[in-house]
Amino acid sequence: MPCIPASSPGIPHQHQHQHHRALAGVGMAVGCAAEAAVAAAGVAGTRCGAHDGEVPMEVARHHEHAEPGSGRCCSAVVQHVAAPAAAVWSVVRRFDQPQAYKRFVRSCALLAGDGGVGTLREVRVVSGLPAASSRERLEILDDESHVLSFRVVGGEHRLKNYLSVTTVHPSPSAPTAATVVVESYVVDVPPGNTPEDTRVFVDTIVKCNLQSLAKTAEKLAAGARAAGS
Amino acid sequence: MSMAEVCCDSAVVVGAEAEARARARAGRRRRAGVEGAGRWNATATAAGVAAEEAATRKRRASGGEAGLVVVAKRHGAASVAGRRREMEDAVSLREAFAAPANGEVAAARCDFYGVFDGHGCSHVADACRERMHELVAEEMGAGSPAAAAREPASWTETMERSFARMDAEVIAGCRAESGSCRCEGQKCDHVGSTAVVAVVEESRVVVANCGDSRAVLCRGGAPVQLSSDHKPDRPDELERIEAAGGRVIFWEGARVLGVLAMSRSIGDAYLKPYVTAVPEVTVTGRSDFDECLILASDGLWDVVSNEAACEVAQSCLRRGRQRWCAEAAAVLTKLALARRSSDNISVVVVDLRRGNAL
Repeated sequence: MPCIPASSPGIPHQHQHQHHRALAGVGMAVGCAAEAAVAAAGVAGTRCGAHDGEVPMEVARHHEHAEPGSGRCCSAVVQHVAAPAAAVWSVVRRFDQPQAYKRFVRSCALLAGDGGVGTLREVRVVSGLPAASSRERLEILDDESHVLSFRVVGGEHRLKNYLSVTTVHPSPSAPTAATVVVESYVVDVPPGNTPEDTRVFVDTIVKCNLQSLAKTAEKLAAGARAAGS
Repeated sequence: MSMAEVCCDSAVVVGAEAEARARARAGRRRRAGVEGAGRWNATATAAGVAAEEAATRKRRASGGEAGLVVVAKRHGAASVAGRRREMEDAVSLREAFAAPANGEVAAARCDFYGVFDGHGCSHVADACRERMHELVAEEMGAGSPAAAAREPASWTETMERSFARMDAEVIAGCRAESGSCRCEGQKCDHVGSTAVVAVVEESRVVVANCGDSRAVLCRGGAPVQLSSDHKPDRPDELERIEAAGGRVIFWEGARVLGVLAMSRSIGDAYLKPYVTAVPEVTVTGRSDFDECLILASDGLWDVVSNEAACEVAQSCLRRGRQRWCAEAAAVLTKLALARRSSDNISVVVVDLRRGNAL
């Protein structure tokens, strides 16, 4: 699903298989110089630790979720953007206009709401993908913390019970000029597929979307700088 | 404009009523012309380029629902959006597209035909329609031997370079001049196209294919498949993809990374190096038994077998009409629609009979 964020870890973790490491090895993964994250206190066995070491510490709490049980899987994608966080967030937060940066979106119609929490959108997908549409509800829109979350509640696709969280925060190394975007998700593994299959598929879509977000935001920021000078 | 006789039969809308009208019309000795607007618009011209341009304008103007038929003496084409809302296929028909090499007879046949089935958007397929024949012509000129003496290996090299250049152009963001799509100048790594192209010479047919469109020769009524579909689960393609570090996942069919249902294409930068633009090239000698060449997108081949397509072509040929290729292309397209193809459908039929004079 084009709207669905996915992540490919730059650092392999214990759930990965050989092929996935190979994917990471050949540069499929987004470069992820994540700071060592301090594991948040949680009840052992219920908190998912799959993304420790990938998700930056500053936003790790937003990407916390329970350990996915059997039949579920999760992942997180990290994208670095050479643009200020405000520019990136201004694109990410437009729940009513995913096509501004999600290349696999052909069109988007609001079914309820006006862009705030509770907004329901119907996204139609471009051709060539194994999906036609996705119906999605905005769960979190936090303009202070730069957190957006949505849940997939319907549509013609195979991803059931999909829930994603996207965070935008200034890059520690260049806070005014660069941004780190993290998109994590939890989803059911479709019948006949493995968790690995599902992560590869969703991560590919989300990575493509986040790379497009980077280009869009960088262009936006360049335009703003030109106007300012 | 006047319509060639073949257009009357071609301009029939699929459906029980339309079929009845078609049968009634077939029984008449004289044609009264097409009654009412049909699904098809037709253009009759001996020049493929002019027909191409007119067809492009018609397709754009009439939106995704309408189809088009291109009628010429040595070939015909039909293209329709079908059950998909948007039209992302493109067809290229270029007679005498390359200058004859020194010493070659000026009248020797050297025609280019191509079918490009786009996905993600239409602009990559459109760019292929506009540029692929130019790139092939340039690469042909770059080689030292005259076309007639060109070895198959030389053709492979020519086609591989042409496809690589086409791929590089679309990835760099070069856009078809006639293109008008919703991407609005954004770089679109997620857009791609199949490309099945044929160069028809006096003595040979050269086919280069990338993706899951297909070229089939009709020889003595029997099909000879000149291209091989690039599906991700074709054993050698699966092996190549995995060796490159990719994966083929069964997600509504075999797909590269679970996303794309073909293993080679023009464009699709986000899936490289797993999805490559290297064509497979065949060079086939022409024979006196050859009737025609059919190039088509998978919107046709998914629902019509090679054998059935040749039968349709042969039955159109037997009717003895001058523009039988256009009729065959239109009938094949209607057949695919009737069989509920779920994709855009594009068909090119090229007359390969010896001695068919213009």
